[in-house]
Amino acid sequence: MKLAKPSFVLRRVFKSLRELLWTHILTSGTMAMTLFIFGGFFLLQQNLHGLLRGWGGQLQIFVYLDEGQASRNLQSVLQQVRSYPEVESVRFVSKEEAWQDFKQALGAQAGLLEGLEVEILPSSLEVILKRAHRNRASMESLAQRLRKVEGISEVEYPEEWMERLSLLVLGVQWAKWVFGAFLFAATLLIVANTVKLALLARKDEVEIMQLVGATEGLIKAPFVIEGMIQGVVAASLSILLLWLLFLLLRAQLPSQFGVFIPQEQFRFLDLNGISLLLFLGWMMGACGSLFSFRRFVQRWER
Amino acid sequence: MVQLFHVSKIYPPHNPALADIHLQIDKREFVFLNGPSGAGKTTLLKLLFCAEEATEGQIIVNGRNITRLNGRGVARLRQEIGLVFQEFKLLPYMTALENVALAAEVVGTPRRESRRKAFHLLRELGLKDQHDARPIALSGGEQQRVAIARALVNDPILILADEPTGNLDAEMADETLRLFLKVCEKGTTVVIATHDAALLKRFHQRVIFLQQGRLMGDTGLQRAEAHA
Repeated sequence: MKLAKPSFVLRRVFKSLRELLWTHILTSGTMAMTLFIFGGFFLLQQNLHGLLRGWGGQLQIFVYLDEGQASRNLQSVLQQVRSYPEVESVRFVSKEEAWQDFKQALGAQAGLLEGLEVEILPSSLEVILKRAHRNRASMESLAQRLRKVEGISEVEYPEEWMERLSLLVLGVQWAKWVFGAFLFAATLLIVANTVKLALLARKDEVEIMQLVGATEGLIKAPFVIEGMIQGVVAASLSILLLWLLFLLLRAQLPSQFGVFIPQEQFRFLDLNGISLLLFLGWMMGACGSLFSFRRFVQRWER
Repeated sequence: MVQLFHVSKIYPPHNPALADIHLQIDKREFVFLNGPSGAGKTTLLKLLFCAEEATEGQIIVNGRNITRLNGRGVARLRQEIGLVFQEFKLLPYMTALENVALAAEVVGTPRRESRRKAFHLLRELGLKDQHDARPIALSGGEQQRVAIARALVNDPILILADEPTGNLDAEMADETLRLFLKVCEKGTTVVIATHDAALLKRFHQRVIFLQQGRLMGDTGLQRAEAHA
Protein backbone atom coordinates (compact mmCIF):
# COMPACT_ATOMS: atom_id res chain seq x y z
CA MET A 1 0.00 0.00 0.00
CA LYS A 2 2.74 2.44 0.96
CA LEU A 3 4.69 1.95 -2.26
CA ALA A 4 1.75 2.93 -4.43
CA LYS A 5 1.99 6.63 -3.59
CA PRO A 6 5.56 7.37 -4.82
CA SER A 7 4.77 5.75 -8.15
CA PHE A 8 1.46 7.66 -8.28
CA VAL A 9 3.32 10.94 -7.64
CA LEU A 10 5.99 10.16 -10.27
CA ARG A 11 3.38 9.27 -12.87
CA ARG A 12 1.68 12.60 -12.26
CA VAL A 13 5.01 14.43 -12.56
CA PHE A 14 5.81 12.84 -15.93
CA LYS A 15 2.27 13.40 -17.13
CA SER A 16 2.50 17.09 -16.31
CA LEU A 17 5.97 17.41 -17.88
CA ARG A 18 4.57 15.86 -21.04
CA GLU A 19 1.32 17.83 -21.15
CA LEU A 20 2.75 21.23 -20.20
CA LEU A 21 6.10 20.73 -21.92
CA TRP A 22 6.40 24.24 -23.40
CA THR A 23 5.45 25.96 -20.17
CA HIS A 24 8.13 23.94 -18.38
CA ILE A 25 10.71 24.68 -21.09
CA LEU A 26 10.01 28.43 -20.89
CA THR A 27 10.30 28.45 -17.11
CA SER A 28 13.52 26.44 -17.18
CA GLY A 29 14.89 28.82 -19.83
CA THR A 30 14.12 31.87 -17.67
CA MET A 31 15.68 30.24 -14.63
CA ALA A 32 18.71 29.25 -16.70
CA MET A 33 19.25 32.89 -17.76
CA THR A 34 19.19 34.04 -14.14
CA LEU A 35 21.59 31.33 -13.06
CA PHE A 36 23.78 32.07 -16.08
CA ILE A 37 24.15 35.74 -15.07
CA PHE A 38 24.82 34.81 -11.46
CA GLY A 39 27.24 32.09 -12.53
CA GLY A 40 28.97 34.60 -14.86
CA PHE A 41 29.68 36.92 -11.94
CA PHE A 42 30.82 33.97 -9.90
CA LEU A 43 33.18 32.84 -12.64
CA LEU A 44 34.56 36.37 -13.09
CA GLN A 45 35.14 36.77 -9.37
CA GLN A 46 36.82 33.38 -9.12
CA ASN A 47 39.18 34.15 -12.02
CA LEU A 48 40.05 37.64 -10.79
CA HIS A 49 40.86 36.11 -7.44
CA GLY A 50 43.05 33.58 -9.21
CA LEU A 51 44.82 36.30 -11.15
CA LEU A 52 45.36 38.35 -8.03
CA ARG A 53 46.81 35.34 -6.26
CA GLY A 54 48.99 34.47 -9.27
CA TRP A 55 50.26 37.99 -9.74
CA GLY A 56 50.69 38.32 -6.00
CA GLY A 57 53.58 35.84 -6.33
CA GLN A 58 55.26 38.23 -8.70
CA LEU A 59 54.71 41.27 -6.53
CA GLN A 60 57.99 42.57 -5.25
CA ILE A 61 59.41 45.48 -3.37
CA PHE A 62 62.25 47.12 -5.30
CA VAL A 63 64.95 48.42 -3.01
CA TYR A 64 67.55 50.72 -4.69
CA LEU A 65 70.90 50.89 -3.02
CA ASP A 66 73.01 53.91 -2.15
CA GLU A 67 76.08 53.56 -4.39
CA GLY A 68 78.78 54.45 -1.91
CA GLN A 69 77.34 52.74 1.17
CA ALA A 70 76.13 49.60 -0.63
CA SER A 71 79.50 48.64 -2.04
CA ARG A 72 80.91 48.75 1.46
CA ASN A 73 78.02 47.22 3.46
CA LEU A 74 76.16 45.01 0.95
CA GLN A 75 76.30 41.92 3.15
CA SER A 76 75.00 43.75 6.21
CA VAL A 77 72.15 45.38 4.19
CA LEU A 78 71.18 41.97 2.76
CA GLN A 79 71.28 40.41 6.22
CA GLN A 80 69.08 43.12 7.68
CA VAL A 81 66.51 42.91 4.88
CA ARG A 82 66.35 39.13 5.19
CA SER A 83 65.78 39.42 8.93
CA TYR A 84 62.31 40.99 8.54
CA PRO A 85 59.59 38.36 9.22
CA GLU A 86 57.55 39.32 6.12
CA VAL A 87 60.40 38.60 3.73
CA GLU A 88 60.44 35.33 1.81
CA SER A 89 63.49 35.90 -0.37
CA VAL A 90 65.87 38.63 -1.47
CA ARG A 91 67.74 38.80 -4.77
CA PHE A 92 70.60 41.16 -5.40
CA VAL A 93 70.52 42.72 -8.88
CA SER A 94 73.87 44.26 -9.84
CA LYS A 95 74.21 47.21 -12.23
CA GLU A 96 75.28 44.79 -14.97
CA GLU A 97 72.31 42.49 -14.43
CA ALA A 98 69.94 45.47 -14.35
CA TRP A 99 71.45 46.66 -17.64
CA GLN A 100 70.96 43.24 -19.25
CA ASP A 101 67.36 42.97 -17.96
CA PHE A 102 66.59 46.46 -19.28
CA LYS A 103 68.05 45.66 -22.69
CA GLN A 104 66.04 42.47 -22.84
CA ALA A 105 62.84 44.28 -21.92
CA LEU A 106 63.40 46.86 -24.66
CA GLY A 107 63.86 44.09 -27.22
CA ALA A 108 64.04 45.57 -30.74
CA GLN A 109 64.43 49.07 -29.31
CA ALA A 110 67.58 48.11 -27.38
CA GLY A 111 69.55 50.29 -29.79
CA LEU A 112 68.30 53.33 -27.85
CA LEU A 113 70.74 52.42 -25.10
CA GLU A 114 73.75 52.89 -27.33
CA GLY A 115 76.11 55.50 -25.99
CA LEU A 116 74.87 55.08 -22.42
CA GLU A 117 76.87 53.48 -19.67
CA VAL A 118 76.05 50.58 -17.40
CA GLU A 119 76.68 52.89 -14.44
CA ILE A 120 73.48 54.91 -14.92
CA LEU A 121 71.35 52.10 -13.46
CA PRO A 122 71.53 51.56 -9.71
CA SER A 123 72.09 48.16 -8.16
CA SER A 124 69.02 46.95 -6.33
CA LEU A 125 67.38 44.26 -4.22
CA GLU A 126 64.20 42.44 -5.30
CA VAL A 127 62.31 41.55 -2.13
CA ILE A 128 59.57 38.91 -2.35
CA LEU A 129 57.11 38.76 0.56
CA LYS A 130 55.68 35.68 2.19
CA ARG A 131 52.18 34.79 0.84
CA ALA A 132 50.38 35.96 3.98
CA HIS A 133 51.98 39.42 3.69
CA ARG A 134 51.23 40.08 0.03
CA ASN A 135 48.87 42.94 0.77
CA ARG A 136 49.02 46.68 0.83
CA ALA A 137 49.34 47.14 4.60
CA SER A 138 52.28 44.72 4.94
CA MET A 139 54.06 46.18 1.90
CA GLU A 140 53.65 49.73 3.20
CA SER A 141 54.87 48.84 6.67
CA LEU A 142 57.93 46.98 5.39
CA ALA A 143 58.73 49.76 2.89
CA GLN A 144 58.76 52.29 5.74
CA ARG A 145 61.23 50.20 7.75
CA LEU A 146 63.42 49.56 4.70
CA ARG A 147 63.67 53.29 3.96
CA LYS A 148 65.36 53.76 7.34
CA VAL A 149 68.05 51.14 6.66
CA GLU A 150 71.48 52.59 6.06
CA GLY A 151 72.64 51.98 2.47
CA ILE A 152 69.12 52.08 0.92
CA SER A 153 68.28 55.14 -1.15
CA GLU A 154 64.80 54.37 -2.45
CA VAL A 155 62.00 51.85 -2.01
CA GLU A 156 59.20 51.18 -4.56
CA TYR A 157 56.22 48.83 -4.68
CA PRO A 158 53.09 48.56 -6.93
CA GLU A 159 50.75 50.02 -4.33
CA GLU A 160 47.97 51.59 -6.42
CA TRP A 161 47.77 48.73 -8.86
CA MET A 162 47.29 46.20 -6.07
CA GLU A 163 44.60 48.30 -4.49
CA ARG A 164 42.64 48.67 -7.73
CA LEU A 165 42.64 44.96 -8.44
CA SER A 166 41.48 44.17 -4.91
CA LEU A 167 38.68 46.70 -5.26
CA LEU A 168 37.62 45.16 -8.56
CA VAL A 169 37.38 41.71 -6.98
CA LEU A 170 35.35 43.16 -4.12
CA GLY A 171 33.08 44.99 -6.59
CA VAL A 172 32.41 41.84 -8.58
CA GLN A 173 31.70 39.93 -5.39
CA TRP A 174 29.10 42.49 -4.30
CA ALA A 175 27.59 42.82 -7.76
CA LYS A 176 27.16 39.05 -7.82
CA TRP A 177 25.01 39.07 -4.68
CA VAL A 178 23.07 42.27 -5.43
CA PHE A 179 22.23 41.29 -9.04
CA GLY A 180 21.71 37.73 -7.88
CA ALA A 181 19.16 38.75 -5.24
CA PHE A 182 17.13 40.83 -7.71
CA LEU A 183 17.21 38.14 -10.36
CA PHE A 184 16.27 35.42 -7.89
CA ALA A 185 13.27 37.39 -6.66
CA ALA A 186 12.12 37.95 -10.24
CA THR A 187 12.66 34.32 -11.21
CA LEU A 188 10.89 33.07 -8.11
CA LEU A 189 7.81 35.02 -9.18
CA ILE A 190 8.03 33.57 -12.69
CA VAL A 191 8.31 30.02 -11.33
CA ALA A 192 5.43 30.66 -8.93
CA ASN A 193 3.28 31.91 -11.80
CA THR A 194 4.09 28.89 -13.96
CA VAL A 195 3.09 26.58 -11.15
CA LYS A 196 -0.07 28.63 -10.71
CA LEU A 197 -0.85 28.03 -14.39
CA ALA A 198 -0.22 24.31 -13.95
CA LEU A 199 -2.46 24.32 -10.87
CA LEU A 200 -5.21 26.18 -12.72
CA ALA A 201 -4.94 23.72 -15.60
CA ARG A 202 -5.46 20.89 -13.10
CA LYS A 203 -7.79 22.70 -10.71
CA ASP A 204 -10.63 20.18 -11.16
CA GLU A 205 -8.30 17.25 -10.71
CA VAL A 206 -6.82 18.70 -7.54
CA GLU A 207 -10.30 19.50 -6.21
CA ILE A 208 -11.51 15.96 -6.86
CA MET A 209 -8.38 14.55 -5.26
CA GLN A 210 -9.13 16.65 -2.18
CA LEU A 211 -12.71 15.38 -2.13
CA VAL A 212 -11.73 11.73 -2.32
CA GLY A 213 -9.27 12.10 0.56
CA ALA A 214 -5.87 12.96 -0.86
CA THR A 215 -3.57 14.50 1.72
CA GLU A 216 -2.03 17.91 1.08
CA GLY A 217 1.37 16.24 0.72
CA LEU A 218 0.14 13.91 -2.01
CA ILE A 219 -1.33 16.80 -4.00
CA LYS A 220 1.67 19.06 -3.38
CA ALA A 221 4.47 16.56 -4.07
CA PRO A 222 4.14 16.43 -7.90
CA PHE A 223 4.23 20.23 -8.18
CA VAL A 224 7.28 20.55 -5.93
CA ILE A 225 9.11 17.76 -7.78
CA GLU A 226 8.29 19.44 -11.10
CA GLY A 227 9.76 22.69 -9.73
CA MET A 228 12.90 20.88 -8.59
CA ILE A 229 13.34 19.22 -11.99
CA GLN A 230 12.89 22.59 -13.72
CA GLY A 231 15.48 24.13 -11.39
CA VAL A 232 18.10 21.42 -11.88
CA VAL A 233 17.59 21.40 -15.67
CA ALA A 234 17.92 25.21 -15.67
CA ALA A 235 21.12 25.07 -13.58
CA SER A 236 22.63 22.40 -15.85
CA LEU A 237 21.78 24.50 -18.90
CA SER A 238 23.34 27.61 -17.36
CA ILE A 239 26.52 25.66 -16.51
CA LEU A 240 26.71 24.44 -20.11
CA LEU A 241 26.27 27.99 -21.45
CA LEU A 242 28.88 29.30 -19.02
CA TRP A 243 31.30 26.60 -20.16
CA LEU A 244 30.84 27.58 -23.81
CA LEU A 245 31.28 31.27 -22.98
CA PHE A 246 34.33 30.43 -20.91
CA LEU A 247 35.96 28.53 -23.80
CA LEU A 248 35.28 31.45 -26.13
CA LEU A 249 36.62 34.09 -23.77
CA ARG A 250 39.67 32.10 -22.76
CA ALA A 251 40.78 32.07 -26.37
CA GLN A 252 39.88 35.71 -27.09
CA LEU A 253 40.34 37.84 -23.99
CA PRO A 254 44.13 37.97 -23.41
CA SER A 255 44.87 39.11 -26.96
CA GLN A 256 42.03 41.68 -26.80
CA PHE A 257 43.51 43.28 -23.72
CA GLY A 258 46.99 43.23 -25.18
CA VAL A 259 48.44 41.57 -22.11
CA PHE A 260 49.87 38.16 -21.78
CA ILE A 261 47.94 35.94 -19.42
CA PRO A 262 48.68 32.25 -19.70
CA GLN A 263 45.59 30.24 -20.74
CA GLU A 264 45.98 27.88 -17.81
CA GLN A 265 45.56 30.88 -15.51
CA PHE A 266 41.84 30.95 -16.46
CA ARG A 267 39.82 28.39 -14.59
CA PHE A 268 36.20 27.27 -14.96
CA LEU A 269 33.96 26.98 -11.88
CA ASP A 270 35.25 24.43 -9.42
CA LEU A 271 33.11 21.64 -7.96
CA ASN A 272 31.85 23.95 -5.20
CA GLY A 273 30.73 26.57 -7.73
CA ILE A 274 28.93 23.99 -9.88
CA SER A 275 27.27 22.48 -6.81
CA LEU A 276 26.18 25.95 -5.68
CA LEU A 277 24.50 26.67 -9.03
CA LEU A 278 22.75 23.29 -9.04
CA PHE A 279 21.62 23.81 -5.46
CA LEU A 280 20.30 27.32 -6.21
CA GLY A 281 18.36 26.02 -9.22
CA TRP A 282 16.91 23.18 -7.21
CA MET A 283 15.94 25.50 -4.38
CA MET A 284 14.41 28.16 -6.64
CA GLY A 285 12.22 25.54 -8.30
CA ALA A 286 11.07 24.01 -5.03
CA CYS A 287 10.42 27.37 -3.31
CA GLY A 288 8.54 28.80 -6.31
CA SER A 289 6.25 25.76 -6.35
CA LEU A 290 5.64 25.78 -2.61
CA PHE A 291 4.94 29.52 -2.60
CA SER A 292 2.38 29.23 -5.38
CA PHE A 293 0.80 26.06 -4.03
CA ARG A 294 0.22 27.54 -0.60
CA ARG A 295 -1.56 30.59 -1.99
CA PHE A 296 -3.67 28.50 -4.37
CA VAL A 297 -4.75 25.72 -2.04
CA GLN A 298 -5.83 28.11 0.69
CA ARG A 299 -8.79 29.06 -1.50
CA TRP A 300 -10.32 25.61 -1.19
CA GLU A 301 -9.58 24.85 2.38
CA ARG A 302 -12.39 25.64 4.71
CA MET B 1 -22.99 6.74 12.39
CA VAL B 2 -23.71 10.50 12.29
CA GLN B 3 -24.64 12.70 15.22
CA LEU B 4 -25.14 16.45 15.23
CA PHE B 5 -25.43 18.30 18.53
CA HIS B 6 -26.90 21.82 18.30
CA VAL B 7 -25.01 22.57 15.13
CA SER B 8 -25.18 26.05 13.61
CA LYS B 9 -23.47 27.52 10.60
CA ILE B 10 -23.30 31.26 9.98
CA TYR B 11 -21.56 32.54 6.85
CA PRO B 12 -19.82 35.87 7.25
CA PRO B 13 -20.86 38.50 7.94
CA HIS B 14 -24.23 37.39 9.39
CA ASN B 15 -25.90 34.89 7.06
CA PRO B 16 -27.22 31.93 9.01
CA ALA B 17 -27.35 28.73 6.91
CA LEU B 18 -28.11 26.25 9.68
CA ALA B 19 -29.50 26.88 13.16
CA ASP B 20 -29.38 24.53 16.12
CA ILE B 21 -29.54 21.24 14.20
CA HIS B 22 -29.78 18.22 16.44
CA LEU B 23 -30.08 14.81 14.81
CA GLN B 24 -28.81 11.28 14.64
CA ILE B 25 -28.40 8.89 11.69
CA ASP B 26 -27.72 5.26 12.46
CA LYS B 27 -25.46 2.79 10.70
CA ARG B 28 -26.92 1.28 7.49
CA GLU B 29 -29.66 3.89 7.46
CA PHE B 30 -30.95 5.48 4.24
CA VAL B 31 -31.89 9.11 4.76
CA PHE B 32 -33.24 11.86 2.54
CA LEU B 33 -32.40 15.46 3.41
CA ASN B 34 -35.26 17.41 1.93
CA GLY B 35 -36.21 21.05 1.69
CA PRO B 36 -36.45 23.92 -0.77
CA SER B 37 -33.42 25.67 -2.25
CA GLY B 38 -31.50 27.55 0.43
CA ALA B 39 -32.84 25.33 3.21
CA GLY B 40 -29.32 24.30 4.23
CA LYS B 41 -29.17 20.75 2.76
CA THR B 42 -25.88 21.29 0.94
CA THR B 43 -24.38 23.13 3.91
CA LEU B 44 -25.27 20.21 6.16
CA LEU B 45 -23.58 17.76 3.78
CA LYS B 46 -20.54 20.04 3.53
CA LEU B 47 -20.24 20.03 7.31
CA LEU B 48 -20.24 16.22 7.24
CA PHE B 49 -17.28 15.99 4.85
CA CYS B 50 -15.51 19.02 6.35
CA ALA B 51 -15.80 21.33 3.36
CA GLU B 52 -17.23 23.80 5.87
CA GLU B 53 -16.68 24.28 9.56
CA ALA B 54 -19.58 24.49 12.01
CA THR B 55 -19.90 27.84 13.77
CA GLU B 56 -21.37 26.12 16.82
CA GLY B 57 -22.07 22.60 18.02
CA GLN B 58 -20.39 19.22 17.67
CA ILE B 59 -20.50 16.67 14.84
CA ILE B 60 -19.62 13.02 15.33
CA VAL B 61 -19.02 10.79 12.31
CA ASN B 62 -18.29 7.11 12.93
CA GLY B 63 -17.43 7.85 16.55
CA ARG B 64 -15.03 10.68 15.74
CA ASN B 65 -15.61 14.35 16.51
CA ILE B 66 -14.96 16.06 13.18
CA THR B 67 -15.60 19.63 14.29
CA ARG B 68 -11.95 20.56 14.65
CA LEU B 69 -10.01 18.23 12.37
CA ASN B 70 -6.67 19.25 10.89
CA GLY B 71 -5.82 18.78 7.18
CA ARG B 72 -4.62 15.21 7.62
CA GLY B 73 -7.68 14.36 9.71
CA VAL B 74 -9.98 15.77 7.02
CA ALA B 75 -8.21 13.68 4.35
CA ARG B 76 -8.56 10.54 6.49
CA LEU B 77 -12.27 11.22 7.07
CA ARG B 78 -12.90 11.73 3.36
CA GLN B 79 -11.20 8.43 2.59
CA GLU B 80 -14.03 6.78 4.56
CA ILE B 81 -16.79 8.76 2.84
CA GLY B 82 -18.09 8.47 -0.72
CA LEU B 83 -19.26 11.73 -2.29
CA VAL B 84 -21.68 12.11 -5.19
CA PHE B 85 -22.64 15.46 -6.72
CA GLN B 86 -25.36 16.70 -9.02
CA GLU B 87 -22.79 17.84 -11.60
CA PHE B 88 -20.96 14.46 -11.37
CA LYS B 89 -17.49 16.12 -11.07
CA LEU B 90 -15.81 13.70 -13.50
CA LEU B 91 -12.54 14.63 -15.16
CA PRO B 92 -13.27 15.07 -18.87
CA TYR B 93 -9.82 13.97 -20.09
CA MET B 94 -9.93 10.68 -18.19
CA THR B 95 -11.87 7.58 -19.13
CA ALA B 96 -14.62 6.23 -16.88
CA LEU B 97 -12.18 3.63 -15.56
CA GLU B 98 -9.46 6.21 -14.86
CA ASN B 99 -11.93 8.49 -13.08
CA VAL B 100 -12.91 5.68 -10.71
CA ALA B 101 -9.37 4.33 -10.27
CA LEU B 102 -8.03 7.81 -9.37
CA ALA B 103 -10.00 7.77 -6.11
CA ALA B 104 -8.50 4.40 -5.17
CA GLU B 105 -4.94 5.43 -6.07
CA VAL B 106 -5.22 8.59 -3.98
CA VAL B 107 -5.68 6.52 -0.82
CA GLY B 108 -2.64 4.38 -1.68
CA THR B 109 -4.09 1.43 -3.58
CA PRO B 110 -1.56 0.23 -6.19
CA ARG B 111 -2.42 1.16 -9.78
CA ARG B 112 -3.17 -2.34 -11.03
CA GLU B 113 -5.39 -3.09 -8.04
CA SER B 114 -7.16 0.28 -8.40
CA ARG B 115 -7.95 -0.40 -12.04
CA ARG B 116 -9.14 -3.90 -11.25
CA LYS B 117 -11.50 -2.60 -8.54
CA ALA B 118 -12.73 0.20 -10.81
CA PHE B 119 -13.41 -2.22 -13.65
CA HIS B 120 -15.26 -4.59 -11.35
CA LEU B 121 -17.46 -1.77 -9.99
CA LEU B 122 -18.26 -0.35 -13.43
CA ARG B 123 -19.28 -3.80 -14.58
CA GLU B 124 -21.52 -4.17 -11.52
CA LEU B 125 -23.16 -0.84 -12.31
CA GLY B 126 -23.84 -1.86 -15.91
CA LEU B 127 -21.00 0.10 -17.53
CA LYS B 128 -18.85 -2.81 -18.61
CA ASP B 129 -18.69 -1.65 -22.21
CA GLN B 130 -18.20 2.01 -21.38
CA HIS B 131 -15.17 1.76 -19.11
CA ASP B 132 -12.90 3.18 -21.81
CA ALA B 133 -15.26 6.02 -22.73
CA ARG B 134 -14.66 9.59 -21.68
CA PRO B 135 -17.50 11.32 -19.76
CA ILE B 136 -18.55 13.38 -22.76
CA ALA B 137 -19.45 10.17 -24.60
CA LEU B 138 -21.72 9.00 -21.76
CA SER B 139 -25.34 9.88 -20.99
CA GLY B 140 -26.22 11.77 -17.78
CA GLY B 141 -27.29 8.56 -16.08
CA GLU B 142 -24.13 6.78 -17.10
CA GLN B 143 -21.99 9.65 -15.87
CA GLN B 144 -23.78 9.56 -12.54
CA ARG B 145 -23.14 5.81 -12.30
CA VAL B 146 -19.45 6.44 -12.92
CA ALA B 147 -19.54 9.03 -10.13
CA ILE B 148 -21.25 6.49 -7.85
CA ALA B 149 -18.63 3.89 -8.74
CA ARG B 150 -15.95 6.40 -7.78
CA ALA B 151 -17.73 7.02 -4.46
CA LEU B 152 -17.84 3.27 -3.78
CA VAL B 153 -14.35 2.28 -4.86
CA ASN B 154 -12.80 2.76 -1.42
CA ASP B 155 -15.58 0.80 0.35
CA PRO B 156 -16.95 3.82 2.25
CA ILE B 157 -18.89 3.59 5.50
CA LEU B 158 -20.97 6.60 4.51
CA ILE B 159 -22.24 7.94 1.20
CA LEU B 160 -23.17 11.62 0.94
CA ALA B 161 -24.97 12.59 -2.24
CA ASP B 162 -25.97 16.15 -3.09
CA GLU B 163 -28.89 16.25 -5.54
CA PRO B 164 -27.61 13.13 -7.34
CA THR B 165 -30.72 12.96 -9.51
CA GLY B 166 -30.91 16.67 -10.29
CA ASN B 167 -29.66 16.23 -13.85
CA LEU B 168 -31.49 12.97 -14.61
CA ASP B 169 -34.96 12.16 -15.94
CA ALA B 170 -37.44 10.39 -13.65
CA GLU B 171 -36.64 6.89 -14.92
CA MET B 172 -32.90 7.41 -14.58
CA ALA B 173 -33.40 9.05 -11.18
CA ASP B 174 -35.27 5.99 -9.92
CA GLU B 175 -32.59 3.69 -11.26
CA THR B 176 -29.91 5.74 -9.50
CA LEU B 177 -31.79 5.65 -6.22
CA ARG B 178 -32.29 1.90 -6.47
CA LEU B 179 -28.53 1.69 -6.81
CA PHE B 180 -28.07 3.69 -3.60
CA LEU B 181 -30.56 1.43 -1.85
CA LYS B 182 -28.57 -1.60 -2.92
CA VAL B 183 -25.43 0.01 -1.54
CA CYS B 184 -27.25 0.71 1.71
CA GLU B 185 -28.43 -2.88 1.95
CA LYS B 186 -24.81 -3.98 1.77
CA GLY B 187 -24.08 -2.00 4.94
CA THR B 188 -23.25 1.57 3.93
CA THR B 189 -25.07 4.53 5.45
CA VAL B 190 -26.53 6.74 2.72
CA VAL B 191 -27.53 10.40 3.07
CA ILE B 192 -29.09 12.00 0.00
CA ALA B 193 -29.93 15.69 -0.26
CA THR B 194 -32.80 16.35 -2.65
CA HIS B 195 -35.47 18.97 -3.20
CA ASP B 196 -37.54 16.51 -5.30
CA ALA B 197 -40.65 15.69 -3.21
CA ALA B 198 -41.92 13.21 -5.83
CA LEU B 199 -38.84 11.10 -5.29
CA LEU B 200 -39.61 10.83 -1.57
CA LYS B 201 -43.07 9.53 -2.37
CA ARG B 202 -41.72 6.78 -4.62
CA PHE B 203 -39.06 5.68 -2.11
CA HIS B 204 -40.38 5.31 1.41
CA GLN B 205 -37.34 6.14 3.46
CA ARG B 206 -36.57 8.39 6.39
CA VAL B 207 -36.86 12.08 5.48
CA ILE B 208 -35.25 14.94 7.39
CA PHE B 209 -36.94 18.15 6.37
CA LEU B 210 -35.06 21.45 6.52
CA GLN B 211 -36.36 24.97 5.97
CA GLN B 212 -34.39 28.21 6.29
CA GLY B 213 -31.64 26.34 8.07
CA ARG B 214 -33.89 24.80 10.68
CA LEU B 215 -34.89 21.19 11.18
CA MET B 216 -38.65 21.26 10.57
CA GLY B 217 -39.44 17.54 10.49
CA ASP B 218 -37.96 14.07 10.74
CA THR B 219 -40.05 11.04 9.72
CA GLY B 220 -37.60 8.82 11.54
CA LEU B 221 -38.29 10.67 14.76
CA GLN B 222 -42.04 10.57 14.14
CA ARG B 223 -41.87 6.84 13.53
CA ALA B 224 -39.84 6.34 16.68
CA GLU B 225 -42.35 8.41 18.68
CA ALA B 226 -45.26 6.45 17.17
CA HIS B 227 -43.57 3.19 18.15
CA ALA B 228 -43.05 4.51 21.65
